Amino acid sequence: MKGWRTLFPNAWYVALREYRSRTRTRSFVLGTVLLALIAFAATQLPVLVDFSMSTSQTRLAIVSQVSDMPDSSGLLDHQLNPEGRKSYLIAWQPDGGLPTAEADLRARRYDILVVIEPDGPQDLKFTIRTDSPQDGRAVQTVETGLYTVAIQYRLAKAGSSIAAIEKAPAVSVVPVNGSASSTNNLTREVSADLLSTGLIVLIFMAIVTYGVWVAMSVAEEKGSRVMELMLNATTPLQMLTGKMLGNGAAGLAQYGIILAAVVGGLLAQAPIHKAVVGSDAGTQFGGLSPTVLAAFVVLFVLGFTLYSLLYAALGSLVSRQEDVQSATSPLMVLIMLGYFMSVFGLQAIDETWVKVASFVPFFSPYLMLARVSAGHVEPWEFGLAVLLLFAAIVVALFVAARIYSAGVLLYGQRVSLAQVLRAARVSR
Amino acid sequence: MALLIDSVSKRFGDVQALDAISLQIEPGEVFGFLGANGAGKTTAMRIVLDILRPDSGTITWNGKPNTDLPRETWGYLPEERGLYAKMTVLEQLVFFAKLHGVKPKAAERETRDWLERFRIPEYADRRAEQLSKGNQQKIQFIAAILHDPLVLLMDEPFTGLDPVNAALLKEAFQEMKERGKTLVFSTHQMETVEELCESIAILDRGRVVVGGSVREVRRSTGRQMVRVAVQGDPEIAWLGTLDGVRVTRRGQDYVEAEVAPGHDPGSVLRAALSRGCEIRHFEMADPSLEQIFIERVGQIDMSERTLAPKGAHA
Repeated sequence: MKGWRTLFPNAWYVALREYRSRTRTRSFVLGTVLLALIAFAATQLPVLVDFSMSTSQTRLAIVSQVSDMPDSSGLLDHQLNPEGRKSYLIAWQPDGGLPTAEADLRARRYDILVVIEPDGPQDLKFTIRTDSPQDGRAVQTVETGLYTVAIQYRLAKAGSSIAAIEKAPAVSVVPVNGSASSTNNLTREVSADLLSTGLIVLIFMAIVTYGVWVAMSVAEEKGSRVMELMLNATTPLQMLTGKMLGNGAAGLAQYGIILAAVVGGLLAQAPIHKAVVGSDAGTQFGGLSPTVLAAFVVLFVLGFTLYSLLYAALGSLVSRQEDVQSATSPLMVLIMLGYFMSVFGLQAIDETWVKVASFVPFFSPYLMLARVSAGHVEPWEFGLAVLLLFAAIVVALFVAARIYSAGVLLYGQRVSLAQVLRAARVSR
Repeated sequence: MALLIDSVSKRFGDVQALDAISLQIEPGEVFGFLGANGAGKTTAMRIVLDILRPDSGTITWNGKPNTDLPRETWGYLPEERGLYAKMTVLEQLVFFAKLHGVKPKAAERETRDWLERFRIPEYADRRAEQLSKGNQQKIQFIAAILHDPLVLLMDEPFTGLDPVNAALLKEAFQEMKERGKTLVFSTHQMETVEELCESIAILDRGRVVVGGSVREVRRSTGRQMVRVAVQGDPEIAWLGTLDGVRVTRRGQDYVEAEVAPGHDPGSVLRAALSRGCEIRHFEMADPSLEQIFIERVGQIDMSERTLAPKGAHA
């Protein structure tokens, strides 16, 4: 085939032009910056929540008028300030410190004053004095903390302790048939499902968003009639390949920047948390193994290539950008079908229909990925799916080039596919 | 050694766009394609360029089939004009040249040279959308020739150009001809053809109705035209009574008549003298291309004649 020999460098020049003109548009620059900022901000939400909680510090004074009160300071601190937060500043006042504490409360040096008194020989009673709302979060939290203090006191009176009560009992699990199943526990399965759903959504979004770019760029070129100049300078195959590469690269660049913002945001979570809130908080990357990541990249690139070829072919049927949406709607159905199949397939990953569909090139980017991340795939299965996907791309390239070369010369409101196929038979 | 179009046919659905047309265009000549809208001019050009494939027939340039020739052989100025609106003039001309294998440096030099020629050197760094239509057309002409093609095919290159720009384009044609290029263009403007072309072909509904050198075509009818003006007799009523003479037009300045083949146009002059007329104007000429065109094709149909059904233009 003549087209293959001469694919480059022209396809490369076309790709470069497409990439430049796409990435130079204001909408691309603004969109990328905005999305990256949103993505980064989204990753910092937990920090923000912790920060807002840590800044509003409640100052708490406690006066105990109970003679045999055990030391409850550690316990209360643990209750009110979990995970090392500093939400409550707790000041235990010495015996007889009540008048001073009351004066400090009135002078607003404390927000809450708690007075502990004996309630009979075996129990405690608490008085919370504050201007904070009675059903507010601070009062409620303090109440819960005091409840624990009361329990500790009651246990001490009964000759026991919290530690003794909370000690884990001896439990043994005995298998019925003598062999224990040690595979996936529930939490691991759930996080794998979440991960593969996330990756599938990533592929889905890329195809839907950036595939349309390819179709738009074809329709734009046809609409502005610059197509005719291009036709004498390049072959349809060169144009098609270039458009796919150029727009694909622009799309991936935007995607990459947004993903980098997300990853950067996640990595920055801990340091930012430490700087802002003043304590550590773990960042979680659940279950993303190198195998799954590699499979994702391969399937992403191949799936995107296949679909953008089809987008280019359909884009060549219309000459106005407004018509692109309707011209590409059949493809949208196909993409949605694959997406929903994979969402349902995740719940039935070992069913035969999922296995079969994971080899169908239009669906394998989703379904094979789901199977890989669920860890139920033999290497040869993955290899076969990739091979089939690759073969489909080659076929799609020639079919798309045919439709494209016929479509780009047909002008009119809307060209039917049948018309194009008829024209494609006789064009070069 | 020529551009040979041999029995080329092309059908779009129900419409026979080209019906076994054969043409020979000599290297280095300026060739005019005449025909009404929808006659098949654009289809013929696209087939020569191998943008479309014919149903039957062959195209050869210097003995080589067009399907084997590098694309750089051809320069094409399409009828439907279009540039990349957001790219600068220089950027896109270099881009087009690169696609044809021209080095960017050389392309830029050539571009600036041609912009100078077209008196628009300051437009190099402007975006195409900022240019007037006439200037965009000049840019497209440059795009068609930057890679130094052997044959230039231009679809209606003069349409929409004001007289000044049309003159600049004619100069450019002359320049390309001097560089030894073969120029083929289609047009409705008969005067332009008579001014520029050595050979022509008139197409009608996919057939070549007449072709050859302009002189041959004009003489092909065997008829001659005479234009006479006589002092004090604007009608010249007796002219139509002469044997073999038919009045075709009574204008303000002169009366035009056609002398049938085999009759001597000089007889008109002699008849006038013998009637003692005071002759103010006497002219003998071959029929104009416009007359031949109207005779062969009928009306020059400026309205759109739909070639292929459902809006597919050719």
